[in-house]
Amino acid sequence: MHRYVLSAMVRFENVGMRYGAGPEVLRDVTFVLEAGSFTFLTGLSGAGKTTLLKLINMTEPPSRGLVTLFGQDLSITKRADFPALRRRIGVVFQDFRLLSHLSAFDNVALPLRLAGRKENEYVQDVEELLSWVGLGDRMQARPATLSGGEQQRIAIARAVVARPDLLIADEPTGNVDPEIGQRLMRLFAELNRLGTTVLIATHDRALIEGMRAREMRLVDGRLVELRTGRAA
Amino acid sequence: MIAANAILPRDKGAAPLDLVIGVMAFLAALALGASLIADRTALGWRAGLSDRLTVQIVPPTHKMGLDEEVDVALGVLRATPGIAHAAPLTQDQTLNLVQPWIGKDALVADLPLPRLIDATITPGAEVDLAALSRTLKQVAPDSLLDDHARWIARLKGLADAITWSAYGILLLIAIATAAAVSFATRAGLQAHHEMVELLHQMGAQSGFIARAFERHYFVSALVAASVGAVLAAAFYLGAGALEFAGVEAVPFLPPLALKFSEVPWLLAVPAVSGIIALATARLSVLAALRKIY
Repeated sequence: MHRYVLSAMVRFENVGMRYGAGPEVLRDVTFVLEAGSFTFLTGLSGAGKTTLLKLINMTEPPSRGLVTLFGQDLSITKRADFPALRRRIGVVFQDFRLLSHLSAFDNVALPLRLAGRKENEYVQDVEELLSWVGLGDRMQARPATLSGGEQQRIAIARAVVARPDLLIADEPTGNVDPEIGQRLMRLFAELNRLGTTVLIATHDRALIEGMRAREMRLVDGRLVELRTGRAA
Repeated sequence: MIAANAILPRDKGAAPLDLVIGVMAFLAALALGASLIADRTALGWRAGLSDRLTVQIVPPTHKMGLDEEVDVALGVLRATPGIAHAAPLTQDQTLNLVQPWIGKDALVADLPLPRLIDATITPGAEVDLAALSRTLKQVAPDSLLDDHARWIARLKGLADAITWSAYGILLLIAIATAAAVSFATRAGLQAHHEMVELLHQMGAQSGFIARAFERHYFVSALVAASVGAVLAAAFYLGAGALEFAGVEAVPFLPPLALKFSEVPWLLAVPAVSGIIALATARLSVLAALRKIY
């Protein structure tokens, strides 16, 4: 049991979540994401996928239940330690959340800057990553001048550039064509192979079927384990 | 590449705050200038009077004549250790002193004006003024020794009142500036809440986010307050130019002019404004971030 907890990157026990006085959008959710695992989170719109991701990336506290991250119980973790935990997580938001006044390069470099890296240390990494996602020639473009798919690729590059211990992505391939989608999935798989725990919320069945990975499905706020698996 | 202050975009709506801070700084610099002028003028007045004595001899009610009382009083003064100089004012000098109040027509010459003796204390000398006053009363019963203490005290009181009023105004302006910056910071946080939340979620330390805001408002306040302080300096230097040209700005009051050596004090206004803006912005942002999970 002790070894099991230590290897758990994310652990939920009987977690419930409601916004204000509204109904519970997550009910008695219990699961573990083991270190180095690759997991799909599926479910209809409104099933609670985004809320579950918010609890993992520490945007919201749960209404009840236990959430541990990197072995730490968040309910007793000091607030001063939250930023360091958050920097270990890469997040691809469904709505991208790029900073409109920064270039593609600067958006991608942001996590490295927040981690205190010097600019001369990360320029090459950022340029290589932008080239990998097919935006090598758009590094100085502002988000407003880019298409939805291009913005999504920048958001993904930003989420993975710091080689996070945990990557969570909300519909990361929703706005890109299938070819780019496959390429991005290869990027996630490569990160997973290097040790990053990956959790992807998606509707894309083709994406899920293309990888032999675990699938968890949310149905009306309750979690159903559909498939166990290992990283592809 | 990301410039250090580029995390927060420059607000197009910041101009009203800049204007408010500029006006506040202008008023603060005027108040500070007024306190400097009051201090300097009071110091000059006090320095001019602190080593002076005046002996007034009113027309006698005794057998001694006025001139006789003046002579013996002069004798006592000149014999007193520490009195460097003592000399009576002539009738014309006395008339000139009262002329601004009662004019100088023929009737004035018939008024029973007192005789005045002007005396100077040797710098650094200690003179027992109470004993001197008693001695003068004994030899010249109608004499009255005035060491100007009451007048100096009133001048000091006036200067202190002006100075403390200026400090009070400066404090009020500082509070108003802090309130304006706090309001603007909250508006800025509201306008950029998505960006702030994103940085927060990405693991930015609260201090990092606060620095982006505090630097933004520090620079804004510094520039706006510098403009206000420069305008106030121009006002005082202009008043100095008027004084130089012989124009009396306000009758009976000292000239509203700063010396060149005093103008650098006005630089304190943009510096303090910047620090107030920086501290207020930082505290406002940190307070707002504490409310986010």
